[in-house]
Amino acid sequence: MLDTLRQYVSRYVALTNEEFALLAQMLEIRNFDKKQQLIKVGEVETCLNFVVKGLVRKYFFKGRTEVITQIAREGDIISSSVSFLSGAPSSYIIETLEPSTFLSISKAQVEQLYRDHPKIERLGRMIITHFFLQKEEWEYECIRANTRERFVRFVENNNDLVQRVPQKYLASYLNMKPETFSRLKHLLQARTPGAGRG
Amino acid sequence: MKSPQKSPFKPALDHLHRYLSGYVHLSRTEFNSLLPYLEIREFDKKVQVVKLGEVENYINIVAQGIVRKYLPLKKEEVTVQLATEGHIVHSELSFYNRAPSATVIGTIEPVILISISYDNLQLVYEHFPKAERLGRLLVSDLFIKKDFRYFNQIQRSTRERFMDYVRTHPHMLQRVPQKYIASYLNIKPETFSRLKHLLQPARKAK
Repeated sequence: MLDTLRQYVSRYVALTNEEFALLAQMLEIRNFDKKQQLIKVGEVETCLNFVVKGLVRKYFFKGRTEVITQIAREGDIISSSVSFLSGAPSSYIIETLEPSTFLSISKAQVEQLYRDHPKIERLGRMIITHFFLQKEEWEYECIRANTRERFVRFVENNNDLVQRVPQKYLASYLNMKPETFSRLKHLLQARTPGAGRG
Repeated sequence: MKSPQKSPFKPALDHLHRYLSGYVHLSRTEFNSLLPYLEIREFDKKVQVVKLGEVENYINIVAQGIVRKYLPLKKEEVTVQLATEGHIVHSELSFYNRAPSATVIGTIEPVILISISYDNLQLVYEHFPKAERLGRLLVSDLFIKKDFRYFNQIQRSTRERFMDYVRTHPHMLQRVPQKYIASYLNIKPETFSRLKHLLQPARKAK
């Protein structure tokens, strides 16, 4: 269970076994059934969650419509990050799509690690920078690419999610109507007769 | 490269000192020891600081003037940031990934930037223990602001976005061509004009 987290961390900094153990002993294992909420609108986020198993979505309401901003699977971190960082009430809801297991760490513990271990503070800085760049990239993608281009790029890079996630959620994430998603999916399958590979 | 300690830049450097101290307290001595890593860069108006496809080598804070960051598309330019005194601006995806920039950074007025290069930033992280915390808190803040702007764009009406911006950035309407602000707020230029007229009904009598 800790191996995937270790891999994740090593993308940013090389922690010694002792340093990783310090981090690991702070973690809590949390299990959720499907369609359970980790955080609701108005609550303050206290956790960073690393997905060990399962599938989770993060979304907010625009009027009555759900707008999905993240779909996290094994090896991803999910959290209402702005609330976590700022201490302000969450604008987002985080909800499981499948039964899920997380390694979670609280804000108080993260702060303690930052205080005592500069390398872990560096890890924090790099993970936040990564979140920031992802947001930037997605913003540009939405400005630059039309619906079809966005769809194709997403499917190319996230074939696993196309198999696992209900279509209406993927459509919401890609900011398109479910019908459009459906139509584009058929087009793509028609274009690649070998569909089903990978 | 000019020496940052020279006096014409002192107000800008004092501002930078206060700005950074808002995240992590830095004594005068600590701040001064960072100065050799910084560069002061001056640009004319209407020039490109970062061109399309170039690798961004700096993080900049605007000491004077206005900078526009935009995505050049086939038929239009989409403005994603209008940075003025005290704002941080750079092509961050290019800077961190060491990849060609998809955005252009151009000046609107003559501009003075206080900049740190990619290599110097790595040196600062190596040599100044406080830099990690400073960097972490700064990026967190930029991340929070980005999310706030995203929410505003989605949740607020065109009119609300316009009113908010004009209220919180009263000088920008004088300093920045209208089409750039309209693009930044994702409002059509015609709509922007109409909303601007709504602002001043009382002055119609003149």
